Amino acid sequence: MKKKKFLNGNRVDSIVTHIVLIAVCLVFLFPVLWLVLSSFSKSGSIYDIEGFFPDTLSFGSYKNLFTDTTMYDYPNWLMNTLFVAVFSSLIGTVLVILTAYTISRFEFKSRKLLMKSTLVLSMFPSFMGMTAVYLIMVNFGLINQLWSLILIYAAGAPMGYLVQKGYFDTISNTIYEAARVDGATNFRIFTRITLPLSKPIIVYTALTQFAWPWSDFILPNMLLKNKDLWTVAVGLTHLDETQFTRFAAGSVFIAVPIVILYFALSKFLVAGVSEGAVKG
Amino acid sequence: MEQKRGLLKSSFPVKASMVIMGTGQLLQKQWIKGILYLTCFVSYIVYLALTGVEDIIGFFTLGTVKGDAWLGIEGDDSIMMLLKGLLAFVITAFFVGIHKSNINDAHRSDIKVKQGSVLPKFSKACGIFFDKKFYIIALAVPVVGVLIFNILPIVFMILISFTNYGGDVVPPELVDWIGFDNFGKVLALSEIKDTFFKILAWNLVWALISTLVNYFGGLGLALLLNKKCVKGKAFWRAFPVLAYAVPGFITLLGFKFMFSYGGPINYYITMSGGSAIGFLDIDAGLTAKLIGILVNAWISVPTSMLLATGILSNMNKDLYDAASIDGASKWKQFTKITLPFVIFSTTPVLITSFVGNFNNFGIFYFLRGGLYNEGYFLASDTDLLINWLYNLSIDNNYYGIGAAISLIIFIITSIFSLLTYVRSGAYKKEDTYR
Repeated sequence: MKKKKFLNGNRVDSIVTHIVLIAVCLVFLFPVLWLVLSSFSKSGSIYDIEGFFPDTLSFGSYKNLFTDTTMYDYPNWLMNTLFVAVFSSLIGTVLVILTAYTISRFEFKSRKLLMKSTLVLSMFPSFMGMTAVYLIMVNFGLINQLWSLILIYAAGAPMGYLVQKGYFDTISNTIYEAARVDGATNFRIFTRITLPLSKPIIVYTALTQFAWPWSDFILPNMLLKNKDLWTVAVGLTHLDETQFTRFAAGSVFIAVPIVILYFALSKFLVAGVSEGAVKG
Repeated sequence: MEQKRGLLKSSFPVKASMVIMGTGQLLQKQWIKGILYLTCFVSYIVYLALTGVEDIIGFFTLGTVKGDAWLGIEGDDSIMMLLKGLLAFVITAFFVGIHKSNINDAHRSDIKVKQGSVLPKFSKACGIFFDKKFYIIALAVPVVGVLIFNILPIVFMILISFTNYGGDVVPPELVDWIGFDNFGKVLALSEIKDTFFKILAWNLVWALISTLVNYFGGLGLALLLNKKCVKGKAFWRAFPVLAYAVPGFITLLGFKFMFSYGGPINYYITMSGGSAIGFLDIDAGLTAKLIGILVNAWISVPTSMLLATGILSNMNKDLYDAASIDGASKWKQFTKITLPFVIFSTTPVLITSFVGNFNNFGIFYFLRGGLYNEGYFLASDTDLLINWLYNLSIDNNYYGIGAAISLIIFIITSIFSLLTYVRSGAYKKEDTYR
């Protein structure tokens, strides 16, 4: 008797838990589902959709996105975004890996100072210097240039070196010492030993460095005034209610790769987030 | 100490190097090195003669000749002069660094010669340097990049906050140093002062509420997922992660559409006989604030859920068993074991997330950007300081005042950041696990 009651209590608890869980998951799913289904709506304006979800589905918005480009040149935005994201990712990854490896591996005079100052610097929100960056860019005529965006993204990347440093810290020192004894130079050690050992962290870095410019809005909105140079994020903010399904389709199109990427990286996510916690 | 003694007793080549870079190396028959140092020296002198001195003077005067298009006078561009002056200081500091290395190098070679060893050839010396000082080569580009794109802007912004740049005073008008006037305006001049304190108050309330909502939302969700009866945790976790993965600006614009006049919520309101509500209109401050907090929770709860999950998985399970044996209730276990542990290990995050929310630019920029309320100086009642800063400096060219405000935000945030820094001890602990 007693045992059964205990089981019942557990069951009630389990049912309540699952009801709450389903509710929470619906809260997270619903807006996304709404946007995805809206992107398949037949009409373009938000006023024509009755309620949350369209009655009939079509690929019209996606077709419009890539063919009707006179007003809103989505393919061009996409190419600009891709260009900026790919090159920022390439350069940024090299810089982050170099910084993290060097700080993890070498003892030198200004190492502590360097670590302290990046820690303090990274505590200041990046937006603070943004207006100054804007003014400097305006004065040197670097506004309306895609590569000035790339420079800013890539140059800021080494500030977030801590996750990578943590990875390099786990590589045992004995390997390096053995190589040193064999007469390998530091450069050779880096290219022949470190790099092959750190493929996972390089992939992780490259992807996160890619995701940031891919979905950033503030910087491109500030620096790209020319319509031909807009990235997807800037372009999408210029779509009003009558262009709602175009917005939905455009959003889904660039969100899908990022979402896939996050799920692929999900085992890194917890580690990355808690690392960020220490970093601040 | 050693350096000083060395300098006093230094030989002629070292002394020569002190006066003219590179000559010492030439005297020591280190031809290529000597020529390189000498070239540096000459280029610096030439730079000084051509623009350097002028730039440094310009930094202090910020221009004396006002441009006039009618008379065809090309005036001074104060902001360019400020930047060039800054550059001159950086170049000078760089030069001093090279000069130091030049003296050290001459000194080292001197010692080697005295010990009777042969000085290495230039190519070999390069090779040795590249290997021994690999960290310098590796860090050069990242450090220079951070200097130019992170530190220089901050310095520039600090300088701008002490000028009257902005408003009507933009080139060709001459900009001047005005000391602390901008700060005085923000903290004392009626219209700007009122706006500042109103926004600051809301900003603090916003940061506090949204941090608490996100934090406890995430913790609750993590605890829920952590329950024994929940099967398929990865499946359930996928939903918040989905929300986490969607780029922020898409989420924000999506919600803006959802609450817009033509949006689905207003559709149902009009269908059931009501009239459409402008949730984010200029006079809808309170609903807009509420929506802001909820939308922010939608975006940030998944992050704190992931964080709390990580922390909970590190927890010692024995404590619970012991507590159960002692007859502690579930609730008691939660308040006496789980909560203290989680809060203790997340205090730094709590503070950084407070700072992050304090400076959360996106939320109200996307939901309600470009609205100016009455009684506010170029801001709306939902704007945070960072939004106001953007309105002032990017949209309305009030650069000086904007810079002063960002400096004030800097100070407020740095107080919180400092708290984190002291509390976390992350940097003290580093290396212990190596």
